[in-house]
Amino acid sequence: MNWDFLVQQVVSGLTLGSMYALIALGYTMVYGILKLLNFAHGEVYMMGAFAGLGVMTALGGPDAPIVPVALMVLVMFLAGMSASAVLAMGLERFAYRRLRNAPRIAPLITALGASFFLQSTALLLFGARRRSYDSAEFIDLRGGIHWGPLNASPTRLLTISTTVTLMVLLTLLVSRTRLGKAMRAVSFDREAAAMMGIDVDRVIVATFAIGGILAGAAGVMFGLVYFSVYHLMGFTAGLKGFTAAVVGGIGNIPGAMLGGLLIGLAESFSAAYVSSTFMDLIVFSILIVVMLARPTGLLGRADIKKV
Amino acid sequence: MKKHYLAALLALVLSLAIAAAGCGGDDEESSGTTGGGTSSGPAQAASCTGSIAAMGPYTGDAASIGQEQLDFTKYAVEKFNEDNGTDFKLEEVDTQLDPAQASTGAQRVVSNDDILGVLGPAGSQEVDAVGPIFTRENLAFISPSATDTKLTESGKYPTFFRDVPNDAAQGPTDAEFIADTLGAKTVWVIDDQSSYSTGLAESTTTALEDAGVTVKRESISQKTTDFSALVSRVKDADVAFLPWQLGSQAQTFGNQLAEQGSDAVIVGSDGLFTEDFSIKDSYVSSFAPDIKGIESSQELVQGYEAEFGKFSSTFGPPAYAATNALLTAIKQACDDAGGSPAREDIVDAMTNVDIEQSILGGPLKFDENGDPEGAKFYIFKVLGKGKYELQS
Repeated sequence: MNWDFLVQQVVSGLTLGSMYALIALGYTMVYGILKLLNFAHGEVYMMGAFAGLGVMTALGGPDAPIVPVALMVLVMFLAGMSASAVLAMGLERFAYRRLRNAPRIAPLITALGASFFLQSTALLLFGARRRSYDSAEFIDLRGGIHWGPLNASPTRLLTISTTVTLMVLLTLLVSRTRLGKAMRAVSFDREAAAMMGIDVDRVIVATFAIGGILAGAAGVMFGLVYFSVYHLMGFTAGLKGFTAAVVGGIGNIPGAMLGGLLIGLAESFSAAYVSSTFMDLIVFSILIVVMLARPTGLLGRADIKKV
Repeated sequence: MKKHYLAALLALVLSLAIAAAGCGGDDEESSGTTGGGTSSGPAQAASCTGSIAAMGPYTGDAASIGQEQLDFTKYAVEKFNEDNGTDFKLEEVDTQLDPAQASTGAQRVVSNDDILGVLGPAGSQEVDAVGPIFTRENLAFISPSATDTKLTESGKYPTFFRDVPNDAAQGPTDAEFIADTLGAKTVWVIDDQSSYSTGLAESTTTALEDAGVTVKRESISQKTTDFSALVSRVKDADVAFLPWQLGSQAQTFGNQLAEQGSDAVIVGSDGLFTEDFSIKDSYVSSFAPDIKGIESSQELVQGYEAEFGKFSSTFGPPAYAATNALLTAIKQACDDAGGSPAREDIVDAMTNVDIEQSILGGPLKFDENGDPEGAKFYIFKVLGKGKYELQS
């Protein structure tokens, strides 16, 4: 039993899974509140990655940063998270707000349109070449932890720990704060919440913003660990994040976290033990099997319809 | 109520239009006015005029390669016009290395009667896409970088030429280097599912196995971003052979190899000969020598660098040589026909092209399939971003 190999795959899977989980959280929260699948969320993530890149370039680039590396990485994260949050709020305000009471197909199409719009905007703004974070230049990737079979580079450790922190913060927000209570109320029954005096608009904007923050963080993490960012990266990541949200139970926050990690681990293990050629095939087959066995997702609950 | 409906509908249509325009922008961006090309006027009989089209990845993932090819092509057109008193124009057609865009671009090119020949496309999969179109219209096209063997050997595209050797030579050359010079015993050959890559992977694997090397095969797609799992399987090998088209992917692969503490050496094919791939102490093969080391080409090198700046890969010079050959053929056909040549005449003239000393340091002639006679592959060691050292 090759432990080194196995543990390596677990680390890779958790790294990848963290990013998928963060994106999935954005999908699941917006669906929980608005019953809307925000297909443009992948692009929110992509813009976060580019924002981080932009800030890094402004601070001297990967070769010659003018501030200490730790500070630069922190600023990159903040920039990515804010850019994505602003973009997500902008989407809500301009693309989705007017369609809140429209038949569900209308915001769905709008979301698709917004997705293409943002991809093309990124193409026009940044060009089609893959840009690189070049993290190998300012972070020693051979460093990190090396305890026995466990080998994790600094960027992977950062990704996993940041994700855990963000998830803990999100859970605390949703369960312990007034805003969290309001979010839960609105997702349960929007009209009743409005009648109880909750400012539904504000809650919805906050939800989009939080989703954006998580996606932006994921974008910067992606750049640091996998280096290359380009205008279409949101498409695949968004698809996998959406899959993760559905597998975990759409509308369910712990479900999104679980789904993301599962998909990440499944990808890693299938690429390692079977073949990279069949990686996507295996992952989506798992999705199909899970959906057939539990149509509401792993942790999801069927909506109770009052008749 | 009706006012709101109308406004919403208008907004929807507008945003769709903008999105469509944005998406439309993804397709070929041909700068170079078609109007400019035809301004040579009706009196073409007197002097030799016309244009050639250049097709390649001028934006997109392979833009670093395409832009260099384009700059050398422009330089070649300039110099030819200068040396021969002609006035040939250049049309740019961006393909982003995508066969679909290449195909659309090819349609536009053949419908423009002013265009007498084509430089490009760059990728083998693109040549397959445009081949039938150009063959049907008898339009000569010469690629400075498409190396898939079947393009000439199958005889499907009689108007296709290239001034670089094909993968039938690249595979064995790379295999010999890996087996003999690097002394590798286990090699992973990983392709990126493009026709260029799989063809080259096959020929290299065969040659390696003939040399007694253990070969393991895998494949990834051009959309793959994470190679961690694959790297953990590859890391104990001696060499990883990556006949990929996207240098940035190979850069990620190499970084992840280093991350997992591997000593495996990366050997890449000509697709990795780009600034995007800068893993120290890896190797890349190239179908052209480094012309900065060729005496007879120094004047051209200096002229180019004065106008376009420094160049670092070996993709540019073959574009120069190819453009030069094409324009020579066009002028020849023009003179023979006493004015405006037909496209078939140019194809004939290409088969007879005989350049004594091209920018690549040797003679340039085409064999009956359209391959250049006597071409070979060169191996370079990567020392850093854009820095290479010739190994053979």
